[in-house]
Amino acid sequence: MPGSSDDYVRVMPVDEIAEAEIYEFEVDGEPRILTRVGDEIFACDGICTHEYAELAEGEIEDHVVYCPLHGSGFDLRTGAVTSLPAVTPLPIYDVKIEGGQVFVSRRPRGESGA
Amino acid sequence: MARRPVSVLLGAGVAGHFAADALRQAGFDGQVLLIGAEPVRPYDRPSLSKGFLQGQKEADALFFRPEAFYRERDIELLLGRRAVALDVAARRVALDSGESVRYDKLLIATGAGPIRPRLPGFDLSGVHVLRSLADATALREDLAAAERVVIVGAGFIGCEVAASARALGRAVTLVDLLTAPMGHVLGDELAAVYAELHRAHGVDLRMGRRVVELRGQGRVEEAVLDDGTRLVCDVVVVGVGVRPEAGLAADAGLAVDRGILVDEHGATSALDVYAAGDVAYWWHPTLGRRLMVEHFDHAGMQGAAVGRAMAGQPESYAPVPSFWTDQYDTTLQYYGYPIGWDQVVLRGEPSAFAVSAFYLVGGRVVAAAMLNRPKEHRAARRLVAARAAVEPAVLADPDTDLRALAKQLAGE
Ligand SMILES: Cc1cc2nc3c(=O)[nH]c(=O)nc-3n(C[C@H](O)[C@H](O)[C@H](O)COP(=O)(O)OP(=O)(O)OC[C@H]3O[C@@H](n4cnc5c(N)ncnc54)[C@H](O)[C@@H]3O)c2cc1C
Ligand code: FES
Repeated sequence: MPGSSDDYVRVMPVDEIAEAEIYEFEVDGEPRILTRVGDEIFACDGICTHEYAELAEGEIEDHVVYCPLHGSGFDLRTGAVTSLPAVTPLPIYDVKIEGGQVFVSRRPRGESGA
Repeated sequence: MARRPVSVLLGAGVAGHFAADALRQAGFDGQVLLIGAEPVRPYDRPSLSKGFLQGQKEADALFFRPEAFYRERDIELLLGRRAVALDVAARRVALDSGESVRYDKLLIATGAGPIRPRLPGFDLSGVHVLRSLADATALREDLAAAERVVIVGAGFIGCEVAASARALGRAVTLVDLLTAPMGHVLGDELAAVYAELHRAHGVDLRMGRRVVELRGQGRVEEAVLDDGTRLVCDVVVVGVGVRPEAGLAADAGLAVDRGILVDEHGATSALDVYAAGDVAYWWHPTLGRRLMVEHFDHAGMQGAAVGRAMAGQPESYAPVPSFWTDQYDTTLQYYGYPIGWDQVVLRGEPSAFAVSAFYLVGGRVVAAAMLNRPKEHRAARRLVAARAAVEPAVLADPDTDLRALAKQLAGE
């Protein structure tokens, strides 16, 4: 990954991120997604915790990402399940902006959701 | 010293699991007892007809949570025990093990059981129903050696089993009085698309027909249809619907009509007794009528809502019900109220198995079913939640931006 430091990975310029659009990227070969809600940018795992589906094909509504397969919803702020059938929370990554670039933490935030 | 209050959850299935979790999340610190007739802790029932039957998933992968999850939350599991009597005056449940359990609050989440037709030959070996992990294990073993499978009933279970049996390379005949698979729920228009889908995957569809008898020497060898046709087979799967497991409640004098009657908080007619999931016939407060829903999302959500109510945090449960079904490489997502319709509008490409169906009553959208159209899920759900009045031609028009329409008609 270009521009990666140990803990954070550079993803893309902040001004290229459109509201409620989903952007895919990879960290260490694992899919992640990025999106924007209002002024806030969120990053989470790219694969649903229910069965197997790419969340990049899903939808964003309010602060929730919805899986394209069976409609599970995950709160982008905490990873908590907001709509079934998923049972397990979605890993969430910290986001920081430096020099107009979005950086995402390599490791998920400590036990999140509920 | 005050006695610790006891919450008993009867039925360790989907609703029971989510209720137990919600009780603890809501801060209930009394005793939580999750009692179930099956010998295993709560698991993902929908996988039984799909990944598990196809051998892509083993039983270990089906459990919602590891045992430690229940231990850490002090949720006691009493498995392999069936409740045989309920006494609401004494607040006691009698189990088939001889034990008797006292409750302060009780949830009945006993689900539903498959209907077994009383027709000749349906008790032969090789004839299966599919509800539990034990059922699915037995069916999977039988399918491994089978060549020809006859499926009685083209509802969700029958159709999913048909798809799984085809994936295993078995010859499959699907028989139902319906004119097309799942037509009673999805309507003729979308059901016709599913008929094509199953045919394209090599299923022999016998619609408008009924199996009247199964024959064989000890083990099933043929199925006889109402027109006299005889279908050679070595496995039969019966999927003709389910009946709520409400007998215990009815015997205890609770109000039961099809399912156990509950209000918007999941409360039954008996004090401190609740019901949730497939067994409940529940009052939807914003719709202003009772609904019977036999799907996963509802069981989990209502179970959780009742868990919170039992912990002293009642909330009005008024969801847009939803379900999914996966068959072959397709997925269908449904949002809506199972209250019938007077018009169905299709949007998309039926021939490519990528189509949405909108169900209208008096010009208002009451349900929507999206077959392989994931980008329309949320907009459709919003239209349903608002019961929006939409011109059929606008819905059908491929140039209509559904999200913009939902925003305009259903608000933010
Ligand atoms: C094969 C299959 C596939 C499915 N696929 C889908 C799908 O794709 N999408 C979807 O939305 N829904 C699906 N469903 C439906 C969904 O699984 C059910 O709606 C859901 O399980 C209902 O949850 P419940 O808690 O009400 O009942 P259950 O999950 O059935 O749990 C009830 C439990 O109570 C136990 N019990 C019953 N009586 C007693 C008693 N007297 N004492 C103690 N325990 C008792 C039962 O053994 C059972 O374990 C499927 C169902 C099946 C069977
Ligand atoms: S895989 Fe995402 S909801 Fe099932």
